[in-house]
Amino acid sequence: MSLTIAPDPAAMLEAAGQSGRHWLRRLVERPPAVIGLAGVIVVVVVAVFAPLLAPYSPVASSFQAVLARPFTAGHLLGTDELGRDVLSRMIYGAQPTLEVGVLATGLALVVGVPIGLVSGYYRGAADMLAMRITDVVLAFPFLLVAIGLAAIFGPSLRNVVLALGIASLPGFVRIARAEAMALREQDFVQAAIVTGVRDRVILFRHLLPNMAGPILVQATLTIPGAILGSALLSYLGLGVQPPTASWGNMLATAQEYLFNDPWLAVFPGVAIFLATLCFNLLGDGLRDLFDPAMR
Amino acid sequence: MKVYVIRRLGVSVFTLVVASVLVFLGIRAVPGNPAIALTGNANLSPAAIAAIEGQYGLNKPLPVQYADWLRQILTGHLGSSPVTGMPITTELSSAFPITVELTILAMLIGIVIGIPAGIIAAVRRGKAIDYAGNAIALFGLSIPSFWFGILLILIFAVLLRVLPASGYVSFLSSPGSNLSHMVMPAFVLGTGVAAVLMRQMRSGMLEALRADYVRTARAKGLPEPSVVLKHALRNSLVTVATVIGLQLGVLLSGVAVTEEVFGLPGVGDLTINAVFQRDYPTIQAVALITAAAIIVINFALDFVYAFLSPRVRVEGAQ
Repeated sequence: MSLTIAPDPAAMLEAAGQSGRHWLRRLVERPPAVIGLAGVIVVVVVAVFAPLLAPYSPVASSFQAVLARPFTAGHLLGTDELGRDVLSRMIYGAQPTLEVGVLATGLALVVGVPIGLVSGYYRGAADMLAMRITDVVLAFPFLLVAIGLAAIFGPSLRNVVLALGIASLPGFVRIARAEAMALREQDFVQAAIVTGVRDRVILFRHLLPNMAGPILVQATLTIPGAILGSALLSYLGLGVQPPTASWGNMLATAQEYLFNDPWLAVFPGVAIFLATLCFNLLGDGLRDLFDPAMR
Repeated sequence: MKVYVIRRLGVSVFTLVVASVLVFLGIRAVPGNPAIALTGNANLSPAAIAAIEGQYGLNKPLPVQYADWLRQILTGHLGSSPVTGMPITTELSSAFPITVELTILAMLIGIVIGIPAGIIAAVRRGKAIDYAGNAIALFGLSIPSFWFGILLILIFAVLLRVLPASGYVSFLSSPGSNLSHMVMPAFVLGTGVAAVLMRQMRSGMLEALRADYVRTARAKGLPEPSVVLKHALRNSLVTVATVIGLQLGVLLSGVAVTEEVFGLPGVGDLTINAVFQRDYPTIQAVALITAAAIIVINFALDFVYAFLSPRVRVEGAQ
């Protein structure tokens, strides 16, 4: 038996492609996951093509039509307190929501996975350091981090991404660390260590690709949390600043008109809820694929 | 056990020190002069700035400033708010009970709904009740708490007029009125907690039910309720305790925004107002106290692990 340590790139690519088709096919067999995937695609399309889809500018106010009820001519979802078209604001509002969800998750992944990888593989001092970092991060609620950043730098989308990215970090560190610890004991990694493959190669070519599944699941389940977090921060006025529309800041203004014009508070909430639900459905579906015991 | 406790204590103290350094440095990261940040007055003369720097010791080296600051906090001097002029300890002592009451009520609702629901879903895995429970939990997990709060206000305060939309009455002055103000916010937060707990409880329970000791318990003829409630439950509670620790930050963020939705003058409301008024000393005090509270609660949860699982006790001692 010959031990092939250096992976053949072509074979790897083929294997990745095959397993990729495989899990995609299995995912499609689950109705909740398909609904989730479809919803996620809709949100992405709406956010990307907002300028083409929105009937009006999201910030153009019309004082002839202030607080028009839904289904009035020309305004399917009515208008807000400044006469801005609610449907258009809803469509544009998908942009900051999705942006924060994806960027915060990406930030946590890019920073958290290498930390977890190194700490799980080397253990010892590196592990100690990584665990203490997550302890400190866990001691600060994301709202407090966002408040701190807003207090220091003023409220902005970037602070929201930073705050939610930092808060999502421990999840990725934990996953990557647990996977690295388990994979390290496997024969192919032990063989690589014994034959003197460089650590960097072991970490990024042997360990990382083998933990892609759990990391993908973690990412898909982190996005809905970040979407809820970003809506919450923008509801509090710490996120995207008006007049730019976000579902969260639309809800904040809507609450002032709750008694007479309650529909204003209904649409953005439904949108946040459905977007979060779809990402959760997709994430749950992916997790079931990688960990069928938990179904 | 003793080694485990001492080690966890060491970790907690270390985390607390790092957290306090971050909070301390945070206020120095505010652009411009820290004297302006601390007093909230942007129109200070150079002489006044120098006077404040002397008063707060801002002209000393940073480590000395940190030590002084720590000494003040440990003796209960959090300073006073430049916006209201009130001592921060006074403001916190009126806000704190509200937040604590809300958090405890929410946790109770969450535990009472979430734990049994998770057990039932795991035991009846794949049955209709499992699917229904999962679907409801997924809804609870996806609904924005503040929007859920607004919907409840719309239904129970605006349409049915049975509950107050906002405000707070102390429990001591009128228990009935206190609870009528608390029921909606506590329910909003509690359902979120229940959703998380239910999912964790279910997966922890499924894992435990597959374990060898559960098979042994069944094999020796123990009745099923005893197997589930005595053997499997105890071990799956370990996972749940972990999740509670991890979720604490999310829960406290939720508490803050719920206070804002329902007009409750708690710590969250205090902090959010402080941001918009650039009241840095208040933000600093709240940040430190919150971080300390989370670290202490997590330390307490470490005891719960050790109590629930002998495995943790032994591994911790190694």
